[in-house]
Amino acid sequence: MISTYKFEYSHTVGFLANQGRGFNNPVDLAFDEHGLMYVLNRAGPEVGIRLPYKRITICNANEDYLGEFGTGGQGDGDLWWPSSIAISKDHRIFVADEALNRVTVFDMKGQFLNKWGVKGGREGEFNRISYIAFDSEDNLLVSDSLNNRIQLFDKDGHVINVWGIPGAEDGCFNMPWGVCVDKGGNIYVADWRNDRIQKFDPSGQFIRKWDSDHLATVKFNRPASLAVDSEFNIYVADWGNERVIVIDQEGKLITELYGDSVPSKWAVDYFDANPVEYQERLKADLNTDFTTGRTDLRDKSARIEKFLWGPTAIKLDSEGRVFIVDSCRHRVQVYKPVPHN
Amino acid sequence: MTVNAENCTKKALIAHLFRRAGFGITFDELAGYLPIDYADIVEQLLYPELQPELDQDVVRRYNIDQNSLMLIESSQANWMYRIINTKRPLEEKIALFWHDLFATAYSKLNHAKAVVNQTDTFRRCGLGNFRTLLLELSRDPAMIFWLDNKDNHRGSPNENYGRELLELFSMGIGNYSEDDVKACARAFSGWTIANSVYMSERASRDSIWPHGRLDWQFVYVPEDHDDSDKTFLGQTGRFNGDDVIDIIVDNPATSWFIASKLYSFFVSDKPDESVIQYLSQEFSKTGGDIRKVMRSLFLSETFASDKTRLARVKSPAELVAGTAKLAGSHSFPDWTTVNLAMDANFMGQEILNPPTVEGWHTGIEWIDTGNLVERINSTALEIGDTQQPGVRSIINKVRTHGGVCTAKDLVDLSLDAMCQFEVSATTKESLLKYADMKGPLYFDKEDQIGCSEQRVGEMLQLIVATREYQLA
Repeated sequence: MISTYKFEYSHTVGFLANQGRGFNNPVDLAFDEHGLMYVLNRAGPEVGIRLPYKRITICNANEDYLGEFGTGGQGDGDLWWPSSIAISKDHRIFVADEALNRVTVFDMKGQFLNKWGVKGGREGEFNRISYIAFDSEDNLLVSDSLNNRIQLFDKDGHVINVWGIPGAEDGCFNMPWGVCVDKGGNIYVADWRNDRIQKFDPSGQFIRKWDSDHLATVKFNRPASLAVDSEFNIYVADWGNERVIVIDQEGKLITELYGDSVPSKWAVDYFDANPVEYQERLKADLNTDFTTGRTDLRDKSARIEKFLWGPTAIKLDSEGRVFIVDSCRHRVQVYKPVPHN
Repeated sequence: MTVNAENCTKKALIAHLFRRAGFGITFDELAGYLPIDYADIVEQLLYPELQPELDQDVVRRYNIDQNSLMLIESSQANWMYRIINTKRPLEEKIALFWHDLFATAYSKLNHAKAVVNQTDTFRRCGLGNFRTLLLELSRDPAMIFWLDNKDNHRGSPNENYGRELLELFSMGIGNYSEDDVKACARAFSGWTIANSVYMSERASRDSIWPHGRLDWQFVYVPEDHDDSDKTFLGQTGRFNGDDVIDIIVDNPATSWFIASKLYSFFVSDKPDESVIQYLSQEFSKTGGDIRKVMRSLFLSETFASDKTRLARVKSPAELVAGTAKLAGSHSFPDWTTVNLAMDANFMGQEILNPPTVEGWHTGIEWIDTGNLVERINSTALEIGDTQQPGVRSIINKVRTHGGVCTAKDLVDLSLDAMCQFEVSATTKESLLKYADMKGPLYFDKEDQIGCSEQRVGEMLQLIVATREYQLA
């Protein structure tokens, strides 16, 4: 059982780069069948000079940079507010855009294939798609945040199922963000503004929830995204609390991660090329919080580089490693499970 | 002094108050204030913390770049959105006032969030005691970096912050000596930021690597502080920075200086010594309580008088944000708010990036031939979009008048709906002349509705081009 594991910081992937090798406000990532990572860079703001920062970076967990595709824009294949990325079993890349209210489909080489979706509140329409994930049938779950619902589509954009209305009752949503599926096909939704996680069966029937009333020691603050492992433990990017927490199905806290990043390979390369800056960095104390009286977690993450700052997505790889997309720090922090007694 | 605005309706007085204490007001908001006594409205404004805070989570979620505020455009857009949507208008206005007075610019810092953090301090302390504000300012990392206090060491003073604290931030030139500047600088030696050498190296290279900016943190280094005797403004002691601030705040020159700055920002571009004297006395009497000084200012006869209403040129931030507020065009986070910030930049006011430590040259200097065209084009574009909710609301107000709307109705109703209650006869005549050219509007004929709505939009565009709309 996973409860016999603890999580140990493994390494960091990425560093800040406006183009090429690196990330810029990454918000999500997807693994292909070979373990390659497709990292979705949202970047911003949307002014001309900065539009090329938006892109999908291809690399692996060992930080081998393999390329990139996509750029900022509103034409076919362009990215404006890219929010989520998922890869289908038939090897196509799906990217959600919550400004353009559409899903864009690419082949594995990054060539544009097609797109679907328009803005609106009717079935099949979107009002800010915040997240996408494939279910066990390889259909696409869509978190339709301002319509406060989940929609299920086939890969050609035909609606299969829709559920959810605005509200705080069971099965209702308030600006849902992340969505994921467990190995049993059950669906989990990060119900962002209700500060809770909800679980549904594959048909969208409410099963249960985890919120402050149902968790002994955990209180979510605007959970952004989540993942579920083979033992049904739930990994939540607790965005407003600048952490990731892991709970079991009973809501028992397994661990909480606040970030332990040290420079990635790409960062070390940067320092190799900039030794003066690096020498001064080595002399600096970057892990002490000198500021007293300001306990805001965001401020703390802004001051201390190793901490998570705006974790927006979590993915697990085949080895059970936890990949946390650390959006404001332009990197992915990786943790690995290690046995403990 | 009490409010006595004989030539002014209550509606006009409230609109005036919100142009000065905030960034304008919509007709619907104004309707909510009408039953409330003017002095009570002032009181509400003076305690912004009693109003709900703006939901920044939803901004950070959708504008992910505004979560880290690494880039200047993101930071400017963030403030612009805040100004437009805040329920605490005076909190933002006083922050803008202090930002102008204690002008700290991104251009040298290469660290937008540091300036944003400074404006947060102005929100938190801007209506409090001036002593506290100066203390916070002296500890503010952006200010320490901006005026080189990180380079102010025991035995090797850097006078930049000490000089500007006296000259531009509190007392004004002519009220202190060069020796006072030297003593002041020595008092602030050892007030620095953590890891100052590394942070300076990063700033000088504009390095955002490897993982974006790191927030600067204030630290006091006692071993780097000059703890010897100093003579400052006639007093002698082993003064530290906070002692110096005590002496500054108690000095009559400070009360006059701050009163005159508040007057020119909130009352009029033309100085009136009697009013400044009155505000200065309030400052001294209350020990530098800015809230109390502001209360006296807003309740003064001069503030409400004919000579004060519409007597200040709107700054670009006031103009752009006020128009967006009227148009209702940025009431939820989107990707276009940055364009408003860019428009203000083009008009000469880069918020978070003032041109020098002296801040912006205000008043009539906001307007030259190029800027005026930009001011009119930007606001006309914003208010002319008849699909925006605020514009829809104005159109609906015009429509409720009846099926047929004469040229005079169109002008009167549009001015009213934009809370532009006081325009000259010349302006009104010009608006009427334009409205008359196309005859009445018909909202009772299905095929005329679209065209009539468009004409309301055109009238609004004309109103933002008037002399009066350029004034606060």
